[in-house]
Amino acid sequence: MSSVIVCHACDLVQRRNVAATRVRCARCDAELYRTTSASIDSAIALGWTAALLLLLSNLYPLVVLQLNGATRETTLFGAALSLYLDGYGVIGALVLLTTVLIPAFQVGSLLYVLLPLRHRRRAKRQNELFRTLTRLRPWALPEVFMLGALVAFVKLSALAQVIPGISLFCYGAFMFSLAALTSITPTEQFWHWVEGSRG
Amino acid sequence: MTTVVMGRRVGLLVCAQCRNTVRASGAVAVRCPRCGAAIHLRKPGSIATTSGLIACAALLYVPANLLPVMYEHTMFYDDSDTIMSGVVSLVHEGSWPLALLVFVASIVVPLLKLLAMAALLVSLMRKSPGNPLQLCKLFRLVEFIGRWSMLDVYAISLLLALVQVRSYAFIHVGLGAIAFCGVVVLTMLAAQSFDERLLWDHQADG
Repeated sequence: MSSVIVCHACDLVQRRNVAATRVRCARCDAELYRTTSASIDSAIALGWTAALLLLLSNLYPLVVLQLNGATRETTLFGAALSLYLDGYGVIGALVLLTTVLIPAFQVGSLLYVLLPLRHRRRAKRQNELFRTLTRLRPWALPEVFMLGALVAFVKLSALAQVIPGISLFCYGAFMFSLAALTSITPTEQFWHWVEGSRG
Repeated sequence: MTTVVMGRRVGLLVCAQCRNTVRASGAVAVRCPRCGAAIHLRKPGSIATTSGLIACAALLYVPANLLPVMYEHTMFYDDSDTIMSGVVSLVHEGSWPLALLVFVASIVVPLLKLLAMAALLVSLMRKSPGNPLQLCKLFRLVEFIGRWSMLDVYAISLLLALVQVRSYAFIHVGLGAIAFCGVVVLTMLAAQSFDERLLWDHQADG
Protein backbone atom coordinates (compact mmCIF):
# COMPACT_ATOMS: atom_id res chain seq x y z
CA MET A 1 0.00 0.00 0.00
CA SER A 2 1.41 3.37 -1.00
CA SER A 3 2.15 5.97 1.65
CA VAL A 4 0.30 8.73 -0.20
CA ILE A 5 -3.34 8.99 -1.15
CA VAL A 6 -5.02 11.12 -3.82
CA CYS A 7 -8.41 12.70 -3.09
CA HIS A 8 -11.03 11.45 -5.58
CA ALA A 9 -12.92 14.75 -5.27
CA CYS A 10 -10.19 17.42 -5.51
CA ASP A 11 -7.07 15.52 -6.65
CA LEU A 12 -4.97 16.64 -3.68
CA VAL A 13 -2.04 14.36 -2.83
CA GLN A 14 -1.74 13.73 0.90
CA ARG A 15 -0.03 11.42 3.32
CA ARG A 16 -1.95 8.27 4.27
CA ASN A 17 -2.68 7.90 7.95
CA VAL A 18 -2.61 4.13 8.35
CA ALA A 19 -4.00 4.08 11.87
CA ALA A 20 -7.16 6.12 11.16
CA THR A 21 -10.45 4.35 10.49
CA ARG A 22 -12.01 7.34 8.80
CA VAL A 23 -10.01 9.76 6.72
CA ARG A 24 -11.19 13.03 5.21
CA CYS A 25 -9.46 15.18 2.62
CA ALA A 26 -7.42 18.00 4.20
CA ARG A 27 -8.60 20.46 1.55
CA CYS A 28 -12.15 19.61 0.43
CA ASP A 29 -13.34 17.44 3.36
CA ALA A 30 -14.48 14.55 1.12
CA GLU A 31 -14.37 11.17 2.84
CA LEU A 32 -11.29 9.47 1.39
CA TYR A 33 -11.93 6.11 2.97
CA ARG A 34 -13.50 4.45 5.96
CA THR A 35 -12.96 1.09 7.58
CA THR A 36 -15.06 -0.60 10.24
CA SER A 37 -14.35 -3.03 13.02
CA ALA A 38 -17.32 -5.15 11.88
CA SER A 39 -16.62 -8.73 10.82
CA ILE A 40 -17.65 -10.39 7.56
CA ASP A 41 -20.01 -12.50 9.68
CA SER A 42 -21.98 -9.51 10.92
CA ALA A 43 -22.22 -8.16 7.37
CA ILE A 44 -23.53 -11.56 6.19
CA ALA A 45 -26.03 -11.72 9.05
CA LEU A 46 -27.32 -8.24 8.20
CA GLY A 47 -27.45 -9.22 4.54
CA TRP A 48 -29.71 -12.22 5.26
CA THR A 49 -31.88 -10.04 7.52
CA ALA A 50 -32.31 -7.47 4.78
CA ALA A 51 -33.03 -10.15 2.16
CA LEU A 52 -35.70 -11.79 4.33
CA LEU A 53 -37.36 -8.46 5.17
CA LEU A 54 -37.42 -7.43 1.51
CA LEU A 55 -38.96 -10.77 0.54
CA LEU A 56 -41.64 -10.50 3.26
CA SER A 57 -42.45 -6.92 2.30
CA ASN A 58 -43.34 -8.11 -1.19
CA LEU A 59 -45.55 -11.00 -0.08
CA TYR A 60 -48.11 -9.12 1.99
CA PRO A 61 -50.15 -5.97 1.34
CA LEU A 62 -48.35 -2.70 1.82
CA VAL A 63 -51.46 -0.60 2.35
CA VAL A 64 -55.13 -1.57 2.75
CA LEU A 65 -57.87 0.86 1.81
CA GLN A 66 -61.50 0.52 2.93
CA LEU A 67 -64.16 2.53 1.19
CA ASN A 68 -67.91 1.89 1.48
CA GLY A 69 -67.39 -1.76 2.34
CA ALA A 70 -65.05 -2.33 -0.59
CA THR A 71 -61.44 -3.21 0.22
CA ARG A 72 -58.39 -2.52 -1.94
CA GLU A 73 -54.84 -3.46 -1.14
CA THR A 74 -51.53 -3.26 -2.94
CA THR A 75 -47.92 -4.39 -2.86
CA LEU A 76 -44.95 -2.64 -4.45
CA PHE A 77 -45.29 -4.91 -7.48
CA GLY A 78 -49.00 -4.04 -7.58
CA ALA A 79 -48.21 -0.33 -7.61
CA ALA A 80 -45.76 -0.80 -10.49
CA LEU A 81 -48.26 -3.00 -12.33
CA SER A 82 -51.06 -0.45 -12.05
CA LEU A 83 -48.74 2.21 -13.49
CA TYR A 84 -48.03 -0.16 -16.39
CA LEU A 85 -51.75 -0.84 -16.92
CA ASP A 86 -52.43 2.89 -16.95
CA GLY A 87 -49.98 3.26 -19.84
CA TYR A 88 -47.02 4.47 -17.78
CA GLY A 89 -44.81 1.39 -17.75
CA VAL A 90 -41.68 3.55 -17.69
CA ILE A 91 -42.66 5.06 -14.34
CA GLY A 92 -43.67 1.59 -13.11
CA ALA A 93 -40.24 0.26 -14.04
CA LEU A 94 -38.55 3.20 -12.31
CA VAL A 95 -40.58 2.61 -9.13
CA LEU A 96 -39.86 -1.13 -9.14
CA LEU A 97 -36.15 -0.64 -9.88
CA THR A 98 -35.51 1.97 -7.19
CA THR A 99 -37.56 0.33 -4.42
CA VAL A 100 -37.19 -3.43 -5.03
CA LEU A 101 -34.88 -4.56 -7.83
CA ILE A 102 -31.79 -2.42 -7.22
CA PRO A 103 -31.92 -2.86 -3.41
CA ALA A 104 -32.39 -6.62 -3.98
CA PHE A 105 -29.41 -6.68 -6.32
CA GLN A 106 -27.33 -4.80 -3.73
CA VAL A 107 -28.14 -7.25 -0.94
CA GLY A 108 -27.91 -10.32 -3.18
CA SER A 109 -24.60 -9.48 -4.78
CA LEU A 110 -23.06 -8.46 -1.47
CA LEU A 111 -24.02 -11.84 0.02
CA TYR A 112 -22.73 -13.55 -3.11
CA VAL A 113 -19.26 -12.00 -2.77
CA LEU A 114 -19.03 -12.11 1.04
CA LEU A 115 -20.06 -15.75 1.59
CA PRO A 116 -17.01 -17.22 -0.25
CA LEU A 117 -14.69 -14.57 1.25
CA ARG A 118 -15.54 -15.89 4.67
CA HIS A 119 -13.86 -19.18 3.65
CA ARG A 120 -10.96 -17.33 2.00
CA ARG A 121 -12.30 -17.99 -1.47
CA ARG A 122 -13.32 -15.53 -4.14
CA ALA A 123 -16.64 -15.51 -5.94
CA LYS A 124 -16.66 -15.56 -9.74
CA ARG A 125 -16.79 -12.04 -11.19
CA GLN A 126 -16.35 -10.64 -7.67
CA ASN A 127 -14.73 -7.37 -8.79
CA GLU A 128 -17.29 -6.60 -11.51
CA LEU A 129 -20.16 -7.28 -9.12
CA PHE A 130 -18.72 -5.12 -6.37
CA ARG A 131 -18.10 -2.28 -8.82
CA THR A 132 -21.67 -2.47 -10.16
CA LEU A 133 -22.98 -2.54 -6.61
CA THR A 134 -21.06 0.63 -5.72
CA ARG A 135 -22.21 2.36 -8.88
CA LEU A 136 -25.89 1.51 -8.31
CA ARG A 137 -25.93 2.70 -4.70
CA PRO A 138 -27.41 6.17 -5.45
CA TRP A 139 -30.37 4.49 -7.20
CA ALA A 140 -31.68 2.54 -4.21
CA LEU A 141 -34.30 4.78 -2.61
CA PRO A 142 -36.16 2.88 0.13
CA GLU A 143 -36.13 5.82 2.56
CA VAL A 144 -37.62 8.11 -0.08
CA PHE A 145 -40.34 5.54 -0.72
CA MET A 146 -41.26 5.45 2.98
CA LEU A 147 -41.83 9.21 2.98
CA GLY A 148 -43.78 8.94 -0.27
CA ALA A 149 -45.99 6.32 1.37
CA LEU A 150 -46.62 8.73 4.24
CA VAL A 151 -47.77 11.40 1.79
CA ALA A 152 -50.09 8.90 0.07
CA PHE A 153 -51.48 7.94 3.49
CA VAL A 154 -52.42 11.49 4.35
CA LYS A 155 -54.00 12.10 0.96
CA LEU A 156 -56.03 8.89 1.17
CA SER A 157 -57.17 9.37 4.73
CA ALA A 158 -59.22 12.32 3.50
CA LEU A 159 -61.08 9.97 1.18
CA ALA A 160 -61.30 6.60 2.91
CA GLN A 161 -60.01 4.50 5.77
CA VAL A 162 -56.40 3.44 5.24
CA ILE A 163 -54.62 0.75 7.22
CA PRO A 164 -50.86 0.19 7.02
CA GLY A 165 -50.16 -3.41 5.97
CA ILE A 166 -47.61 -5.82 7.46
CA SER A 167 -45.39 -5.17 4.46
CA LEU A 168 -45.04 -1.50 5.27
CA PHE A 169 -43.46 -2.41 8.61
CA CYS A 170 -41.27 -5.05 6.94
CA TYR A 171 -40.19 -2.53 4.33
CA GLY A 172 -39.43 0.06 7.01
CA ALA A 173 -37.27 -2.49 8.83
CA PHE A 174 -35.64 -3.39 5.50
CA MET A 175 -34.78 0.28 4.98
CA PHE A 176 -32.89 0.34 8.29
CA SER A 177 -31.13 -2.98 7.70
CA LEU A 178 -29.98 -1.88 4.23
CA ALA A 179 -28.64 1.37 5.70
CA ALA A 180 -26.81 -0.57 8.42
CA LEU A 181 -25.43 -3.02 5.86
CA THR A 182 -24.15 -0.19 3.67
CA SER A 183 -22.54 1.51 6.65
CA ILE A 184 -20.62 -1.59 7.83
CA THR A 185 -19.39 -2.54 4.35
CA PRO A 186 -17.56 0.57 3.08
CA THR A 187 -15.54 0.01 -0.09
CA GLU A 188 -12.17 0.18 1.66
CA GLN A 189 -13.31 -2.39 4.24
CA PHE A 190 -14.42 -4.77 1.49
CA TRP A 191 -10.96 -4.62 -0.11
CA HIS A 192 -9.35 -5.21 3.28
CA TRP A 193 -11.41 -8.39 3.56
CA VAL A 194 -10.39 -9.40 0.04
CA GLU A 195 -6.71 -8.74 0.74
CA GLY A 196 -6.99 -10.56 4.06
CA SER A 197 -8.37 -13.62 2.31
CA ARG A 198 -5.21 -14.03 0.24
CA GLY A 199 -2.83 -16.81 1.04
CA MET B 1 2.18 27.01 4.37
CA THR B 2 2.38 23.57 2.81
CA THR B 3 2.59 23.29 -0.96
CA VAL B 4 -0.47 21.98 -2.75
CA VAL B 5 0.33 18.96 -4.92
CA MET B 6 -2.27 17.72 -7.39
CA GLY B 7 -2.32 14.07 -8.37
CA ARG B 8 -2.19 14.83 -12.08
CA ARG B 9 1.00 16.89 -11.66
CA VAL B 10 2.91 14.00 -10.15
CA GLY B 11 1.35 11.19 -12.22
CA LEU B 12 -0.89 9.77 -9.53
CA LEU B 13 -4.41 8.64 -10.42
CA VAL B 14 -7.29 7.61 -8.21
CA CYS B 15 -9.72 4.81 -9.08
CA ALA B 16 -13.28 6.17 -9.29
CA GLN B 17 -14.71 2.84 -8.12
CA CYS B 18 -12.54 1.66 -5.23
CA ARG B 19 -10.58 4.92 -4.61
CA ASN B 20 -7.25 3.20 -4.82
CA THR B 21 -4.30 5.47 -5.58
CA VAL B 22 -2.46 4.28 -8.69
CA ARG B 23 0.70 5.47 -10.45
CA ALA B 24 0.03 6.47 -14.08
CA SER B 25 2.05 4.46 -16.59
CA GLY B 26 2.52 6.57 -19.72
CA ALA B 27 -0.36 7.40 -22.03
CA VAL B 28 -1.97 3.96 -22.11
CA ALA B 29 -5.37 3.40 -20.56
CA VAL B 30 -4.88 2.42 -16.94
CA ARG B 31 -6.83 -0.25 -15.12
CA CYS B 32 -7.03 -0.34 -11.36
CA PRO B 33 -4.82 -3.20 -10.10
CA ARG B 34 -7.16 -3.70 -7.14
CA CYS B 35 -10.66 -3.74 -8.66
CA GLY B 36 -10.04 -3.76 -12.42
CA ALA B 37 -12.02 -0.60 -13.27
CA ALA B 38 -10.77 1.70 -16.02
CA ILE B 39 -9.13 4.77 -14.49
CA HIS B 40 -9.31 8.20 -16.07
CA LEU B 41 -7.41 11.32 -15.06
CA ARG B 42 -10.79 13.12 -15.24
CA LYS B 43 -14.19 11.65 -16.12
CA PRO B 44 -14.25 11.63 -19.95
CA GLY B 45 -16.55 14.25 -21.51
CA SER B 46 -17.74 15.36 -18.09
CA ILE B 47 -18.68 18.95 -18.95
CA ALA B 48 -20.40 18.05 -22.24
CA THR B 49 -22.39 15.15 -20.75
CA THR B 50 -23.43 17.10 -17.67
CA SER B 51 -24.46 20.17 -19.69
CA GLY B 52 -26.52 18.04 -22.09
CA LEU B 53 -28.33 16.26 -19.28
CA ILE B 54 -29.01 19.51 -17.41
CA ALA B 55 -30.34 21.17 -20.59
CA CYS B 56 -32.78 18.27 -21.17
CA ALA B 57 -33.83 18.31 -17.53
CA ALA B 58 -34.45 22.07 -17.65
CA LEU B 59 -36.69 21.61 -20.71
CA LEU B 60 -38.65 18.87 -18.97
CA TYR B 61 -39.03 20.96 -15.82
CA VAL B 62 -41.63 23.11 -17.62
CA PRO B 63 -44.14 20.35 -18.55
CA ALA B 64 -43.39 18.62 -15.25
CA ASN B 65 -44.84 21.62 -13.44
CA LEU B 66 -47.54 22.70 -15.90
CA LEU B 67 -49.11 19.38 -16.94
CA PRO B 68 -51.30 17.39 -14.55
CA VAL B 69 -49.54 14.53 -12.82
CA MET B 70 -52.80 12.92 -11.76
CA TYR B 71 -56.50 12.87 -12.72
CA GLU B 72 -59.08 12.04 -10.06
CA HIS B 73 -62.59 10.90 -10.91
CA THR B 74 -65.14 10.39 -8.15
CA MET B 75 -68.92 10.30 -8.00
CA PHE B 76 -68.95 13.94 -6.98
CA TYR B 77 -66.21 15.57 -9.03
CA ASP B 78 -63.59 15.21 -11.74
CA ASP B 79 -60.32 16.88 -10.94
CA SER B 80 -56.78 17.10 -12.18
CA ASP B 81 -53.74 17.80 -10.06
CA THR B 82 -50.46 19.38 -11.04
CA ILE B 83 -47.64 19.09 -8.54
CA MET B 84 -48.42 22.56 -7.19
CA SER B 85 -52.18 21.99 -6.86
CA GLY B 86 -51.37 18.73 -5.02
CA VAL B 87 -49.42 20.82 -2.52
CA VAL B 88 -52.32 23.27 -2.20
CA SER B 89 -54.81 20.47 -1.55
CA LEU B 90 -52.53 19.11 1.19
CA VAL B 91 -52.66 22.56 2.79
CA HIS B 92 -56.47 22.52 2.58
CA GLU B 93 -56.53 19.14 4.29
CA GLY B 94 -54.66 20.82 7.13
CA SER B 95 -51.45 18.84 6.82
CA TRP B 96 -49.16 21.73 6.13
CA PRO B 97 -45.95 19.95 7.30
CA LEU B 98 -46.50 17.38 4.53
CA ALA B 99 -47.44 20.12 2.08
CA LEU B 100 -44.14 21.80 2.88
CA LEU B 101 -42.32 18.47 2.44
CA VAL B 102 -43.84 17.85 -1.00
CA PHE B 103 -43.30 21.47 -2.02
CA VAL B 104 -39.62 21.31 -1.11
CA ALA B 105 -39.00 17.83 -2.54
CA SER B 106 -40.91 18.26 -5.80
CA ILE B 107 -40.61 21.92 -6.70
CA VAL B 108 -37.74 23.57 -4.79
CA VAL B 109 -35.21 20.71 -4.94
CA PRO B 110 -35.39 20.10 -8.73
CA LEU B 111 -35.18 23.85 -9.41
CA LEU B 112 -32.29 24.23 -6.98
CA LYS B 113 -30.50 21.31 -8.65
CA LEU B 114 -30.91 22.81 -12.12
CA LEU B 115 -29.72 26.25 -11.02
CA ALA B 116 -26.82 24.91 -8.97
CA MET B 117 -25.57 22.60 -11.72
CA ALA B 118 -25.90 25.42 -14.27
CA ALA B 119 -23.91 27.71 -11.97
CA LEU B 120 -21.19 25.06 -11.59
CA LEU B 121 -20.97 24.50 -15.35
CA VAL B 122 -20.88 28.24 -16.11
CA SER B 123 -18.09 28.79 -13.59
CA LEU B 124 -16.06 26.02 -15.28
CA MET B 125 -16.65 27.38 -18.79
CA ARG B 126 -15.77 30.97 -17.84
CA LYS B 127 -12.41 29.77 -16.51
CA SER B 128 -12.91 32.11 -13.59
CA PRO B 129 -13.43 29.39 -11.07
CA GLY B 130 -14.65 31.29 -8.03
CA ASN B 131 -14.10 29.68 -4.67
CA PRO B 132 -13.64 25.94 -5.33
CA LEU B 133 -14.45 25.00 -1.76
CA GLN B 134 -17.83 26.76 -1.87
CA LEU B 135 -18.63 25.33 -5.30
CA CYS B 136 -17.78 21.80 -4.19
CA LYS B 137 -19.96 22.17 -1.09
CA LEU B 138 -22.79 23.30 -3.38
CA PHE B 139 -22.26 20.24 -5.59
CA ARG B 140 -22.34 17.87 -2.62
CA LEU B 141 -25.57 19.44 -1.41
CA VAL B 142 -27.11 18.87 -4.85
CA GLU B 143 -25.91 15.28 -4.86
CA PHE B 144 -27.33 14.65 -1.40
CA ILE B 145 -30.79 16.14 -1.82
CA GLY B 146 -31.48 15.01 -5.40
CA ARG B 147 -32.89 11.60 -4.57
CA TRP B 148 -35.68 13.01 -2.36
CA SER B 149 -37.52 14.36 -5.39
CA MET B 150 -38.80 10.85 -6.17
CA LEU B 151 -41.13 11.14 -3.16
CA ASP B 152 -44.14 12.40 -5.11
CA VAL B 153 -43.76 9.69 -7.77
CA TYR B 154 -44.03 7.01 -5.08
CA ALA B 155 -47.05 8.72 -3.52
CA ILE B 156 -48.81 8.85 -6.90
CA SER B 157 -48.05 5.19 -7.65
CA LEU B 158 -49.62 4.11 -4.36
CA LEU B 159 -52.68 6.31 -4.89
CA LEU B 160 -53.11 4.89 -8.39
CA ALA B 161 -52.92 1.29 -7.16
CA LEU B 162 -55.36 1.83 -4.29
CA VAL B 163 -58.03 4.20 -5.56
CA GLN B 164 -59.61 1.99 -8.20
CA VAL B 165 -63.08 1.47 -6.78
CA ARG B 166 -65.03 0.96 -9.99
CA SER B 167 -67.57 3.67 -10.81
CA TYR B 168 -67.03 5.28 -7.43
CA ALA B 169 -63.56 6.69 -7.49
CA PHE B 170 -60.57 6.13 -9.69
CA ILE B 171 -57.31 7.80 -10.62
CA HIS B 172 -55.27 8.15 -13.78
CA VAL B 173 -51.70 9.26 -14.15
CA GLY B 174 -50.98 12.38 -16.21
CA LEU B 175 -48.16 13.21 -18.63
CA GLY B 176 -46.68 15.61 -16.09
CA ALA B 177 -45.60 12.62 -14.02
CA ILE B 178 -43.43 11.24 -16.81
CA ALA B 179 -41.81 14.66 -17.39
CA PHE B 180 -41.22 14.89 -13.64
CA CYS B 181 -39.54 11.45 -13.53
CA GLY B 182 -37.40 12.62 -16.45
CA VAL B 183 -36.24 15.67 -14.49
CA VAL B 184 -35.33 13.58 -11.44
CA VAL B 185 -33.48 10.87 -13.37
CA LEU B 186 -31.63 13.28 -15.70
CA THR B 187 -30.46 15.53 -12.86
CA MET B 188 -29.25 12.49 -10.89
CA LEU B 189 -27.32 11.28 -13.96
CA ALA B 190 -25.93 14.79 -14.46
CA ALA B 191 -24.63 14.88 -10.89
CA GLN B 192 -22.97 11.49 -11.43
CA SER B 193 -21.25 12.54 -14.67
CA PHE B 194 -19.92 15.75 -13.15
CA ASP B 195 -16.25 15.62 -12.14
CA GLU B 196 -15.67 17.65 -8.97
CA ARG B 197 -11.93 17.73 -9.61
CA LEU B 198 -12.46 20.17 -12.50
CA LEU B 199 -13.43 22.79 -9.90
CA TRP B 200 -9.94 22.56 -8.40
CA ASP B 201 -7.90 22.28 -11.61
CA HIS B 202 -7.70 26.01 -12.29
CA GLN B 203 -6.31 26.64 -8.83
CA ALA B 204 -3.28 24.46 -9.39
CA ASP B 205 -2.62 26.10 -12.76
CA GLY B 206 -2.83 29.64 -11.40
